[in-house]
Amino acid sequence: MEKKYWKRLYNWFDERIQFEDIIQFAAKKYVPVHSHSIWYYFGGVTLFLFIIQVITGILLLLYYKGSEDLAFESIQYIMTEVEFGWLIRSVHSWSANLMVLAAFIHMFSVYFTKAYRKPREITWITGMLMLFLAMGFGFSGYLLPWNELAFFATKVGTDIAGVVPVIGKPLLEFLRGGEDVTGATLSRFFAFHVAIMPAIFTVLLGIHLILVQRQGMSEPLGYEIKPENEKKTMPFFPNFLLRDLLLWLIVLNIVALLAVLFPWELGVKADPFAPAPAGIKPEWYFMFMFQTLKYIPATVLFIDGEVLGVLLFGAAGLLWTLVPFWDRKTLRGEKNRFINYLGIFAIMYIILLTILGYLE
Amino acid sequence: MNKLILILLLIVSVHYGMAQKKVDQCIACHKANGDKPAILFSKDLHFAQGISCADCHGGDASKEDMDESMNKNAGFIGVPSGDKISEVCSNCHSDQLDKMNNSAHGKLTVKGDQKILQCTTCHGIHNIVSVKNVASPVHANNVVQTCSRCHSDIAYMRQYNPALPTDQHEKYLTSIHGQLNKKKDANAATCANCHGSHDIRNALDVRSLVHPANLPKTCATCHSDTELMKPYQIPTDQYEKFAASVHGIALLKKGDAAAPSCNDCHGNHGAAPPGLESISKVCGTCHVINADLFAKSPHKKAFDDQKLPECETCHSNHAIIVGTDQLIGTTPEAVCSRCHTETKNQKGYWEAAQMRKILDSLIYEEEETIRLITEAEQKGMEVSEAKFKLRDIRQAKLETRTIIHAFNLVKFTEAANKGFAITSEVKSAGIKAIDEYYFRRWGLLAATLVITILAISLFIYIKRIERRNTAK
Amino acid sequence: MEVDQSKRKFLKYVLGGSLTALAAMILYPIVAYLRPPKTKSAEVSSVKIGKVSEIPNDSSMMFRFGTKPGILVRTQMGEFRAFEAICTHLDCTVQFKQEMGVIWCACHNGKFDLNGRNISGPPPRPLTPYKVIIQGDDIFVSKI
Repeated sequence: MEKKYWKRLYNWFDERIQFEDIIQFAAKKYVPVHSHSIWYYFGGVTLFLFIIQVITGILLLLYYKGSEDLAFESIQYIMTEVEFGWLIRSVHSWSANLMVLAAFIHMFSVYFTKAYRKPREITWITGMLMLFLAMGFGFSGYLLPWNELAFFATKVGTDIAGVVPVIGKPLLEFLRGGEDVTGATLSRFFAFHVAIMPAIFTVLLGIHLILVQRQGMSEPLGYEIKPENEKKTMPFFPNFLLRDLLLWLIVLNIVALLAVLFPWELGVKADPFAPAPAGIKPEWYFMFMFQTLKYIPATVLFIDGEVLGVLLFGAAGLLWTLVPFWDRKTLRGEKNRFINYLGIFAIMYIILLTILGYLE
Repeated sequence: MNKLILILLLIVSVHYGMAQKKVDQCIACHKANGDKPAILFSKDLHFAQGISCADCHGGDASKEDMDESMNKNAGFIGVPSGDKISEVCSNCHSDQLDKMNNSAHGKLTVKGDQKILQCTTCHGIHNIVSVKNVASPVHANNVVQTCSRCHSDIAYMRQYNPALPTDQHEKYLTSIHGQLNKKKDANAATCANCHGSHDIRNALDVRSLVHPANLPKTCATCHSDTELMKPYQIPTDQYEKFAASVHGIALLKKGDAAAPSCNDCHGNHGAAPPGLESISKVCGTCHVINADLFAKSPHKKAFDDQKLPECETCHSNHAIIVGTDQLIGTTPEAVCSRCHTETKNQKGYWEAAQMRKILDSLIYEEEETIRLITEAEQKGMEVSEAKFKLRDIRQAKLETRTIIHAFNLVKFTEAANKGFAITSEVKSAGIKAIDEYYFRRWGLLAATLVITILAISLFIYIKRIERRNTAK
Repeated sequence: MEVDQSKRKFLKYVLGGSLTALAAMILYPIVAYLRPPKTKSAEVSSVKIGKVSEIPNDSSMMFRFGTKPGILVRTQMGEFRAFEAICTHLDCTVQFKQEMGVIWCACHNGKFDLNGRNISGPPPRPLTPYKVIIQGDDIFVSKI
C-alpha cells in the first residue's frame, strides 16, 4: 500500500531532476568479486566513520567553547551535564582514531592491488591528501580539550614542524599563531579543525567519490587479464551496498562498545607554566615518525638530525604520493615485486616503530 | 772517703737542681711583689695541676732573671688582651674555643676589636676553679648572676640585639627553678642547663638547645630523670607523653614550628605550670573558640568548684591525643562518665549519650558518602563537584567537635545537622553517578542486541537476494 | 511457496522493526543532547562571583573556584581582594572578621591581613591570592 506513496514522491522529484540516467548508470554498476574483494569495503568504512565525525563534531560544536579559559571546562560540562554528552564526545574521539586506522588500511590495500595505476591517479592523489588531512584533523582536534597532554604534545609537534629548513619558522608561527603555544594556537587549531580542513576535505572527498563512481572499482592485475565471462561480479545495487551497510552496522557497534566501555579521558587542564610531564607521546598515528626522530643522532654529517628526519619523511611521503607516476612496471601491466616489498617494509616499519614508541 | 763526698755532692746538687726546677720563679717573684694575680693563682685549679704562669704567658719559669724569663725569644707574650686571651686558653682547651667561636657569643664587639666574650669573662682569671666548686662564677649557684651581668643590662644588650628581652633574670626568680636556685639547690636548672655553655645559639637556630623542636628533649634531660626528680616528687613521664601527643607529633615529627613546645604553656624563664583556672586561658591562646565556649558553659563553674583543671581534665596536659569522638558519651572510655552517670548529674548523662550518638552517625554518614563517591569515581564517572562538597563535611565535623565545648545539646545538634544536610546531598549525587554508570552499560547491551538482530536479518536478506540473482 | 512468503514477510518485519529501533536508539540521545541542560556551564578559571553593588564596604563573600573555596573581601576603602580560603596551616576554611579587620582561621587562631599575609598564629605562609576583575557591575575572579 505504502508503495504507492513512495512512487508518487519519486515521480515528483523525477519530473524535476530526471533520475533516469543516474538510475541506468547505477543499475549497471558491478563490483568485481575475487580473493581481494574484501578490501573494497574499507573505503566505505572510512567514509562512514567520517560521517560519524561530522555529525558528532557538529553536536559537540553546540557546547564546546574554544578559548583558553573555557575549552577544558566546556568539555567537562559536555561530559557531565549535557545528556548523552559523554557518549557524543567519546564516540567522536574513538571514531577519529578508527577513521585514521581505516584510512591507512584502505590506502595500503589500494597500494598493494596497485589500484592507483592509470586511470586512477587523481583518485590516489586526492586519497593521499585526505589521509594527510585526516592526520591533521587528529592533530588539531587533539589540542581542543586544552589538557596537559595535548598542550605539550602540540608543543612538541609544532616544534618539529619548525625544524623544516627555510619555511620552518614561518610555518611554526603560522600553526601556533605566535611563537609559543597559547590561546591563539587553540583558536587557530579550532578554525583549522571545524572550518578550513573540513572545507578542503569535502572538496577532495567529492572528487574522490565522483571518480570512484565514474570509473568503478579497480580490478587487480590478475583479475583484469581474465576473459570477460570468467570474471565474477556482483551488482553494486543492492548487493554491494547492502553488504557495505552491514559492515557499517558492525563498525557502529564497535564504536559504541568502545565509547561506553572505554570512555575517553579528559585529563588535567593545561598549565603553560607547569613543567612538562614525563613521557609526552603523540597520538599513535604519529608515533612511528616521532620514534624515528629519537633514533636519529643529533647531527648526521653537517645536517641537524631532526631536520634530516623531517626531510626524509617529507620525501618519503612525496614519493609515496607520486607512486602512480614512477611505477612503470605496473603501467606496462607487469607484476612489480619491488612495490610489494616496499609496501611490506613500510608496514613493518610503521608497526615496529609504533610498538617501540610505546614500550619506552 | 773522697768517693763518698763526691757522691754526696752529686746528690745534693741534683736535689738543688731539681729544687730549682720545682720553684716557679714567676710566682716566686710576683708573689714577693704582692701582685694580686700571683696571690690568686695559688688557689687556682691550674696551679694545683702544676701549670705555671709561663704556660699561659709564655717565657721561661725556671729563670730568676727577668730578662731571661720574660724574654720574647723564650715565648713570653706579656699580658694577652682581647681574642689573644682565649687563644692562649685554647692551647689546651681547644674544644671549648671552637664551640664559642661558632656560638652567638662568637661575634665581634661593638668596637670590632675582639669577640664579645673571652674565656675569662665567665670563668674568671687566675682564680679559676672547677664548675662544681661553689666559688666558681659558673657554678650553679652563681651562673645566673654571671650571665645577667650582661643580659640584664638593658643599655648594653641594646647595642647588640634591641629585640632580645632583658628580663630573664627577673622572670627566673619567679620560676620554680629560680626559687630552688635561690635556696642553693644545685640541681635546679640554670641558664647553662638549658642554653648550653660554650655553644649557646639563638633560640631560632635549629642547632640551639632551646629551639622549639629541641626544647622538649632539653627539658627532659632533668625532668625525665627519675632519680633526679625524686626529691621534688613530680612525675617524669611528661616528655614521653608529649612526644606521643598531637602537639608533640606536630612539633617533633612533622616539624610544625607553630606547635607548642614546653615553654609555650609553661613559660621559659618564668617557668611554672599554669594555675588551675588559667589552663584554659593558656590553651586558649591558640584554641580560642574552644576556650571561649568553655568559659561560657556550665562546666566552667562546675570545674572551678570541684577544683578540676579545665582543659586538662578531659584532654590531659602532656598526653593530648587527637580529640576523638571516644571522649564524648557514656561509655567507660568517655570522660563524661567520670562525673555523669545514670544516677548522678543525669541531665549531662543523657545529653552526652545523645551527642555521642549524633557524632557516630555523622561519622558513619561521612564514611558512606566517601565510599559512594569513590565507587562512582572508580567507575569513571565525573564527581568533582561532589568531592568539593566533602570539604564542607569536614568543616561541619570540625564545628560539631568545637561546639561540644559549650556542652549544649541544642547548639550541638544544629551544627551536626549542617553536616547531615551535606552528606545526604553528596550521597544522592554519588548514587546518581553510579546509577548513570549502569544505565550506560544496559543501554549498550540494548543497542548491541538491536544491531545484532538488524545485522543478522540484513545478512539473511542479502543472501536471499543473491540466491535470487544466481537463480536468475 | 507459502512458507517462503511468510518467511519473507517475517524477515521484512524483523528488518524494518530492528531498523526503526536502531534509528530510535540513535536519534533519542541526539535529541536529548540538543536540549540545553539546566545547570549552567561551570566556568572555573574565571568565575563571575557577584555584583559590586551587592557587596558593601568592610564585608566579605565566600565563593567556589574550581575545587577550592575562595573568599572575597571588600576593604573599608572599597577595594576588592580575593584569596583561596584555605588556611596555610592545616587547611581549615578561613573567614573574614569584620571587628578585627583580619581574615581569621577558627581552628588555631591564625590571622591574615587583608593582603593575605600571615600576621599572627600558626600559619606559615600567606594565603594564595586571586585576581579580581571588575567589569561594570560584575565581579570576576581568576587565577593569577
